[in-house]
Amino acid sequence: MPADSPRVFPVDEFVRDELYPGYRQAFGSQPFVAGPVRPFSKADNARYWLRDSLHFSEGMVPASIALLDDAQTWGAQLGAEIVGVPPTRGSVNRLAGTHVYIGTIDVDTDWQMQSRAARFGEYVSPILADFDRYWGMRAAELQAAYDHFDALDLTSMDPGQLWTTVKDAYAFHRRAWFIHFEVMYVLTANYLAFYGLAEEIGLAGSQVSGFLAGEQTFYGRTDEELWKLAAHARELGVSEPLLRQAPRSVRANIEALAHGKTWWRELEEFLATFGWRTEETCRIDTPSWIEDPSPALERIASFLARPAGFDFDAARAAAIAERDARIDDARRAVNGDDLARFDQALASNRAANFAWWNEEHNYLIDRRAAIPVRLATLELGARLSDAGRISRPEDLFFLFKPELFEVMESDGTAWANLAALVPDRRAYFEHWRERGPSLPTMLGTIPLTVPDPIMIEVFGLSGHFLETLRGGTGGGEAGPASAGGGEIAEIRGFPAAKGVAEGVARVITTVGDLHTVLPGEILVCGGTTTEWTPAFGIIAACVCDTGGSLTHAAIVSREYGIPCVVGTAVATQAIKTGDRVRVDGRAGTVQVLA
Amino acid sequence: MTDEAVLDLGVIRALHAPRVGPKMARLGQLASAGWRVPDGYVVTAGVLDEWLPLAARAELARLLAAEKAHDLTWLADQARQLVEDQPLPAWLAEAVGAAHERLRARTGLAAVLRVAVRSSAVTEDGLGASFAGQLGTYLGIRDPDDVLRHIRKCWASGYTAWALSYRMRHGLPLESRDLAVGVMQLVDARTAGVVFTLDPITGDRGRLIVEANWGFGESVVSGQVTPDYWAVERRSGRILERREGTKDVWSVLDETAGAASSRVVLMPLPAELARVPCLSDEEVRYICEKAAELEEAEGVPQDVEWAIARDLDFPDCVFFLQHRPETTWSAAPAVPDQTPPAKAFDPVQYALRNVFKVPGT
Repeated sequence: MPADSPRVFPVDEFVRDELYPGYRQAFGSQPFVAGPVRPFSKADNARYWLRDSLHFSEGMVPASIALLDDAQTWGAQLGAEIVGVPPTRGSVNRLAGTHVYIGTIDVDTDWQMQSRAARFGEYVSPILADFDRYWGMRAAELQAAYDHFDALDLTSMDPGQLWTTVKDAYAFHRRAWFIHFEVMYVLTANYLAFYGLAEEIGLAGSQVSGFLAGEQTFYGRTDEELWKLAAHARELGVSEPLLRQAPRSVRANIEALAHGKTWWRELEEFLATFGWRTEETCRIDTPSWIEDPSPALERIASFLARPAGFDFDAARAAAIAERDARIDDARRAVNGDDLARFDQALASNRAANFAWWNEEHNYLIDRRAAIPVRLATLELGARLSDAGRISRPEDLFFLFKPELFEVMESDGTAWANLAALVPDRRAYFEHWRERGPSLPTMLGTIPLTVPDPIMIEVFGLSGHFLETLRGGTGGGEAGPASAGGGEIAEIRGFPAAKGVAEGVARVITTVGDLHTVLPGEILVCGGTTTEWTPAFGIIAACVCDTGGSLTHAAIVSREYGIPCVVGTAVATQAIKTGDRVRVDGRAGTVQVLA
Repeated sequence: MTDEAVLDLGVIRALHAPRVGPKMARLGQLASAGWRVPDGYVVTAGVLDEWLPLAARAELARLLAAEKAHDLTWLADQARQLVEDQPLPAWLAEAVGAAHERLRARTGLAAVLRVAVRSSAVTEDGLGASFAGQLGTYLGIRDPDDVLRHIRKCWASGYTAWALSYRMRHGLPLESRDLAVGVMQLVDARTAGVVFTLDPITGDRGRLIVEANWGFGESVVSGQVTPDYWAVERRSGRILERREGTKDVWSVLDETAGAASSRVVLMPLPAELARVPCLSDEEVRYICEKAAELEEAEGVPQDVEWAIARDLDFPDCVFFLQHRPETTWSAAPAVPDQTPPAKAFDPVQYALRNVFKVPGT
């Protein structure tokens, strides 16, 4: 045998189905710190589960589940483990049909808490002390990966290169989500420390996010660019098609106009920078704006409905003035050593600002990390459908990642079996997509309180929120709004952004319907994410079922200077589109007037 | 006579304690270090012994040895009367008059200057017990002749029943010796009181205690009112506790007696003042901060009298009138600072302790 040929020492003798007699490992039981995405089991009744419609409103196709595993499951668990967050080992996910629920994994022994605490400081302190450099390094790593993936010419690759690219894209996705949770937990510590200090010196912890407002973000810049495109559309006389036609057919009609091509070129330049984003997180089935600019076009159209435009400079100046006034008020209320600590905490949180990062990171991670997987998968799907293995490229979204990997790395004879599963799976996804809006906000045992401040401030699990849900029937179709036969005249929540507004309610359950919101309306929804941001330039106020002081809706409302009440638990059920409502963002109340 | 019967405060340093008493020596030292203290001068302790005529001394010795001397009230009356009846010599009147003129010039107040005449026993603190408030202190005096008379009253106060009993108990000669008298500019106090650099009740070194009332500090040091009370955390300067006093009286200048002879007297406190704290939080913290500095310099817990002048801007209005080692606890084993360790904002510690509530952090 030539020295350079591979040599095999056969494993055949050791091949077994069982690890030990009577024990067969369950699928997916190994690679996780705490546990993979799973369907619910009866044991899950013992704890609480929160519907995460904030991140995944429409459900997960099979291929998205590996991406969810990378993110809110594996990424969160590994991040919590490596950072050594004492009270939590991250989050676990369960699926109701295709819909995502999140639970937290509490560390419940003193010894574990203490041993995690011992290494937590060593990990966190140096990063917080030099956060700009640290995040700059991570952001550069992510950007370098995007530069690599975006430059690939997938269509001209040979099959081996393409499959390598799929695997690289998945590997990158997992890495991106580890970065996400590593940074998140480190920043969370800084934020929560400020929160804890505020409570100690007699301020409210939930005030803290207001002290950190007014920072420019990538998506803030995106919105400014969209307003500019709207203004140019008006100047160049191309508004009519934008206002009157469906986004998918609008291009030809615009380019037929005198300055249409000029405007479309501007749009494409905009997309080259700002279009690498999907509408939801970990959803392989949602296109980026590069592929389908409809979301951008819809937003531009909704901005055209408000001819005065939106004065971003004035709004930011007002947000900064409001932030500084809150800081001044707080500083007046404390003194001596407390004041010195307050100033240190403020400086530390400005240098490593969770409220800012919570929005900023989305363009590098949440809304972008899955795009390389999606594009490579679609190219693979196109070739497979050309070869007659599957009926269309998107069929690959209905295969689980292990299924795809197994068939791709074997002789490929299993394609027929897999392809046969796709129609049923597609129907299953559609069935659950329709059920999504009526799913309960929480499942399992609703606790009296949730100790984790992030669950309170980001997801809004305040005592009031939990009490409202306990008082109702679980927040499902027959929610507390109709309990007792009487109408709820006033809904309470967390006062997220000050101001009073009265107007017509528009209840929106999925971001896809966001373009139906009219200027001056009051947006009522489960919760908002980055994709909802442009609506804040036209609405009069925002009301959410979920959320706390750190929620997207709270932060963005402050930047846009509109009143906002979050964490109401029941707003989308108690309020109907067309109701006249009055929102008091300082009191945290919403009155249904008629 | 000695050519240094009277010393201006500006030249007094700690080393002068044997002649001016520790109280005035500390005040001089404080003034020289740039602290805000009332200006003044001191009639040194030696003067008392030089001045009292031989005949008077013989008479005093007879009284102290008298059979009836066990009746301390009687003895005190007799002895004090004897001292107060002695004429003051011209050299002393001259020296005090000159010092007073210098003080009037330094303060720029001329004849309007009012002073406090305070006894300053050379041994008072060294005995390990507090003489505070037991020897004469006279406030609001304006006329130099009146100052002289009150200096003599201070000397006479060395023969109160309390002072005699004290010396008797400690086996000391009954003669009052070594008594200096300080004459200080009277701070026209809006509010005055004391600060202890430890909690005098518990000995807790982590807390400073401020007690104060409107007007001159006499109502507080003589225990005539339940003063306003603040407990302040040493480490953070945070006010841990505040109690409103029962401030029904205050010490004020009695203007009814005529400008020349008006004195500080106890009067009913107007109701609108009684309901209001007599210090702002800022003033409380400033007073504590300075008292802690004093303790640092002295090395032992201090009991500090202070006054806040009307019509001066903060913090120039805060005067330190006297300070002395706190006597109750300084002999006892030190009670360590009971506040938890310093808490600068360390995000890790705050997250672990306040938010994650990790046991033992």
